[in-house]
Amino acid sequence: MNVASHLEKIGKLETLRTRLDPLEDFELWFWSAMNAGTHAVNAALHHAGVTRPDDVFPTQPGVYLIPQPDRSLKPGFHPLGDILHVGRPPVEGAIPEDVARMMKEMEIIEHHRDPCIRGERTPTREIADECDRALRSVLEILDRRLPGARR
Amino acid sequence: MTPREHREKAEKIERSLGKCAPADYEMRIEAAMLAGTHWLNLVLHRMGVTLPQNDVLHTYMLTVNELRRYKVADEELVNALAEIEDIRPAFVRGPLPGGEEAADRAVRLLGLLRAKALA
Repeated sequence: MNVASHLEKIGKLETLRTRLDPLEDFELWFWSAMNAGTHAVNAALHHAGVTRPDDVFPTQPGVYLIPQPDRSLKPGFHPLGDILHVGRPPVEGAIPEDVARMMKEMEIIEHHRDPCIRGERTPTREIADECDRALRSVLEILDRRLPGARR
Repeated sequence: MTPREHREKAEKIERSLGKCAPADYEMRIEAAMLAGTHWLNLVLHRMGVTLPQNDVLHTYMLTVNELRRYKVADEELVNALAEIEDIRPAFVRGPLPGGEEAADRAVRLLGLLRAKALA
């Protein structure tokens, strides 16, 4: 997806997160943060020229829904565009240091995904704060790479 | 997770879903996927088809053998969750128009999953 669309998604998700309580709504609050952070990493990877900003949409690593001339969508193989999660799929090639730091921060968030969303671990204030700090850092790094791009 | 835990998670996610506006269609779709997965797991556990330590994450990550087995248990529910999952790429990960309508569909499918799980 193109960088502008990633930035727009981040803005929407960040707005929604202000209406969600970090503990009472942890699952959607967390999921919004994870999605926003992944959009940020994708935008940075595109901006760095590491991955392609094509308007194709991943269904699984290597497979994307590709818009057709008749406006339908068809699954097909495609070079690496958007990643689904940090590490899914792994990104080959030289990753700039700032983007690598964004990905490290996202691993902090991803670490809590399955235990807290699909498992029995009870989310705590400490977990929410840790995820929030990680996302803040991801977005700050993105803003330094793309100054003024996020409204 | 136990059936009781799945129910608690699904209901919690659905309460948060209620705080989303139509324009938040990305997270409405994601909430339907997350809560719907918990409802499907509840049903499969209750039927004795899967154990609490063997939860479905996504239908597309199942082996063909597992998918067929779970469809024997309740094909309508498996198909409902699969349809929600299929809505995600174009509207959650993509910017295509029609997101609000797609989210409405996902939430309707979630209602089907919930109704069967609580029947």
